[in-house]
Amino acid sequence: MTTAEKLKKILVEELNLEEVTPADIDDDAPLFGEGLGLDSLDAVELVVIIQKHFGLEIKDMDEGRTAFQSVRALAAYIDGRLKS
Amino acid sequence: MTHPDSRIVIRGIGAVGGFGCGVAALEQALSGGEVRPGRVALPMTAVSDMAAFMADTVLLKDFLPVKALRRVDHYSRLALLGAHLALADAALPEADRAGLGVVIASGHGATGITFAFQDSFINDGDICASPTHFANSIHNSAAANISIMLGAAGPSLTVSQFHLSVPSALLTARQWLLERRVERVLFGAVDELSRLTSHYWCRQHGPAADGTLPRPLRTGADTAIPGEGAAFLLLSREEDAANGGYCTLDSVTTGRNLPPGPLSASPGLLLLGADGIQATGRRYAEAAAGSRIACYTPLYGSMPPGPAFDIASAALILRSGVVFPTPAGDACDFPAAVAKGGEPVGPGPVGILTLDDDDGHGLISLGSL
Repeated sequence: MTTAEKLKKILVEELNLEEVTPADIDDDAPLFGEGLGLDSLDAVELVVIIQKHFGLEIKDMDEGRTAFQSVRALAAYIDGRLKS
Repeated sequence: MTHPDSRIVIRGIGAVGGFGCGVAALEQALSGGEVRPGRVALPMTAVSDMAAFMADTVLLKDFLPVKALRRVDHYSRLALLGAHLALADAALPEADRAGLGVVIASGHGATGITFAFQDSFINDGDICASPTHFANSIHNSAAANISIMLGAAGPSLTVSQFHLSVPSALLTARQWLLERRVERVLFGAVDELSRLTSHYWCRQHGPAADGTLPRPLRTGADTAIPGEGAAFLLLSREEDAANGGYCTLDSVTTGRNLPPGPLSASPGLLLLGADGIQATGRRYAEAAAGSRIACYTPLYGSMPPGPAFDIASAALILRSGVVFPTPAGDACDFPAAVAKGGEPVGPGPVGILTLDDDDGHGLISLGSL
């Protein structure tokens, strides 16, 4: 399972995205606003989810803002941090 | 504390439990006299599951968009559904919610999400604790969710006194109305059967044998089956009765050490909160001696919000003027007369008696409009 696929499954389950399946989530759709429709509380949940499932702490807001653009961006961020 | 001088009106009822959803489902269960329990999983015990009266909140989607519910846990969903059903039953316009207060009674609160939050501390450390779990774990979460989602702009409060939560919270609801602090009160009682509370129940009482049903008017055996659900009442002052309603809420009394023997002011019909737990069953039998009684707990199960379901049942009796049959009413060894199904309720008030396992009691009195 790729990091993006794993992420989609985690997002649906942990953010309780009712009536959304992992397959419904577009890799490049924005996570916040128009795309998946997440909000500021979800951003906090996302920080917790990334730490819990991937052991990565996101402390820098600018870093998080870039990573939280889309599933593809977040997966790339996680893969990059895990490699380094 | 009693306020027999001022009357409060029950204008709407919303109920969800093992019998189904809505006042019509409750009335149907009361008329039919039997509800079969479902099963609740017990992942932490040697037995895989046990009988329980579980409530389904799927109809909440008729009132709120699915997206608005994704952060709402099962406990608050039960409360939200009960609240919506009560307002719909009373046909209260949205414009009339400015002076609407919310009072919730709960024996245990949001146990499912609270223990999930605590488990996350143990398993992953405090830095990984979910903020959504935290928000849902605070004691007033259901009342807050109701106030926000229904636009109830009055005060909101949650009262927890285990099995006496309903009469205790009802005292506050009445007081708010009598003080004219609010125009109406959305009063509700809610508890969930979470993984933890189910486990606790099984440890305390053991799982009921397959196929058995509660026999609350038998003192010789423990026949209780746990339940979950929500029962809500829209309460207003008597002058609001022109807009319709079921009955009046005349008095609420709570206290300790009920005097031995029959109740001193015996109502025309006494609804007992006896739920098949042997120890309290004996006390109910003593308190009900010589009274004309009914008991509907086998329709929704054993749970702290039980008295609110009894109030809803009594309100339906007072509106129709006819008593519903007591489930397993022939299996009674209380020194009391079980009212037959279809009998006229009679002229006296209907009392609702609740006893806890520690000498506490609550007595609620309802009258005809």
